[in-house]
Amino acid sequence: MTFSEYLAARDFLTNIGQPVITYILLVSILQVLFSIVYFLKRKDNYYRYLIKSVYISTSLYVLGFLFLIWFHLQIYNTVLIEYPEFLRQAIPVESSRLIIPMWIESEKLYFWSMAASVFVLTVQRRKELVSFLGIVLSVFSAIVFFLSNPFKEPLPIVHNEITMWYSALSSGDGRIFEMAGNLFGRITFYYNSTYMWTHPPMLFIAYASLIITAAACVYMLIRRDPMYDEIAYRYAKAGYILLTLGMLIGYPWAIEAWKDSAWWWDPKISGSIMMWVLYTAYLHAHIYVGRGKMWNATAYLGIICFASLLFTYLLTYIVPGIHSVVQP
Amino acid sequence: MKYLKNYDYGLIILTTLVLFSIGLVCVYGIAYYNYLTVNPQWQHTLLYVQYINNMNSYLYPFLVLLLISLGLCIPKRLFEQDILVKFWALALGITVILTFLSGIETGLGFIVAIMIVIQSVVFILTINKSKKIRFEKEGYIMRLGSVLLHLGVVILIFNFVTFRENPFHILIFWIGTLLVMGGNIFSFYPGKTNSLLQLK
Repeated sequence: MTFSEYLAARDFLTNIGQPVITYILLVSILQVLFSIVYFLKRKDNYYRYLIKSVYISTSLYVLGFLFLIWFHLQIYNTVLIEYPEFLRQAIPVESSRLIIPMWIESEKLYFWSMAASVFVLTVQRRKELVSFLGIVLSVFSAIVFFLSNPFKEPLPIVHNEITMWYSALSSGDGRIFEMAGNLFGRITFYYNSTYMWTHPPMLFIAYASLIITAAACVYMLIRRDPMYDEIAYRYAKAGYILLTLGMLIGYPWAIEAWKDSAWWWDPKISGSIMMWVLYTAYLHAHIYVGRGKMWNATAYLGIICFASLLFTYLLTYIVPGIHSVVQP
Repeated sequence: MKYLKNYDYGLIILTTLVLFSIGLVCVYGIAYYNYLTVNPQWQHTLLYVQYINNMNSYLYPFLVLLLISLGLCIPKRLFEQDILVKFWALALGITVILTFLSGIETGLGFIVAIMIVIQSVVFILTINKSKKIRFEKEGYIMRLGSVLLHLGVVILIFNFVTFRENPFHILIFWIGTLLVMGGNIFSFYPGKTNSLLQLK
């Protein structure tokens, strides 16, 4: 198993993944059309088409995810980082393999969208809600296709790290010592970390559940039907449990991985705390949802909570910080 | 009874507002952090320490308020209501004095320590199915969940405020996390938990 085999696997992923993500986009366009037509005509036929399209896009998401799992297995099998003898004093192991999770870089939005699609199928009896969510899912799919396509250029940062390592190793580049230290740190505390395998997926599954809450809160305000409030609360509870555990797991990870870094009150952490306290406020206020106009306040709060969730997610791309991809 | 219901309602509104205010503190933190990054090296200067201290000092008063609202909320009927209010007014007074004498962390540590004692008493009474405490939501599992959740939150805050450098910090963190998660599951899914544990 060699570096060239890794490159071949990467090319193969692009070749088989690109059609899948293109089909997801096409089905999503149909999803929007069926949703709009259902809103206008209110005929069950259109709703049935909509549900079928959601099933198809969800299946395609799952298929693409299986391709990603295959590619990650190939990375594990083909890429062996063997630290040269002269680095052994600095690196406590002879070699490392990369156990890359399926929710980093451009794969995270894909994972979130896939989880959201699965959650939408669990409320398929609520026609209006699913029609609305069908449009939301299509927006997600379009963003994944155009801005966060995991098949177009798979794992660019990981790829760059692997390529740089092999290049430096073969050319006897003097920076190898520094690169080995960085790569060892990235593999140990980031890619292969147990926290990396638990913290982000919990948050993304929570986000997926909380999309349903937000949509149900919107419908609660439009229709004033307690059924929507019940749906919003049900998905908020599930989302909140995962959100809380996911966030808490991040704390010992930060202490371990960012020992010498300035991470406390980092924008992403501030955003996450803000989102968590807002969802806590929503669940607290919900205790008295039957009193006066409290349902109105909780519905608005549920929407504000989701806005804070989106804001927190986007912070990685708009504000510099330890979690961010933008630099000051 | 109606008075108690209004009291509960008021407390929940207060808690919601305090939580919302903490959210606003975080928004301020994000904006200020972004403003400070005009100098890319600012984290390696005293500005970073100052930023952390400022953010903590903005957060702590709301944490005190949150703890007081929890303190007023949970042990109802454990104490008479007016005694409870007077007790927390006194605790708040001592917290303010301690804050002026030794800093906000000492004040906060004091009030959190009181909360842990009270929550532990409530926990024991709940386990023993005591009639002395009253909860907004009925049912043993839900009561237990509420107590575990609040005890866990208080332990996490206490651990963070006063035990950051302690060797048991991470162990206490996991205990708090376990309580919070248990509390959440018990509170949100009492029926399912009940059938799972086969409790009556």
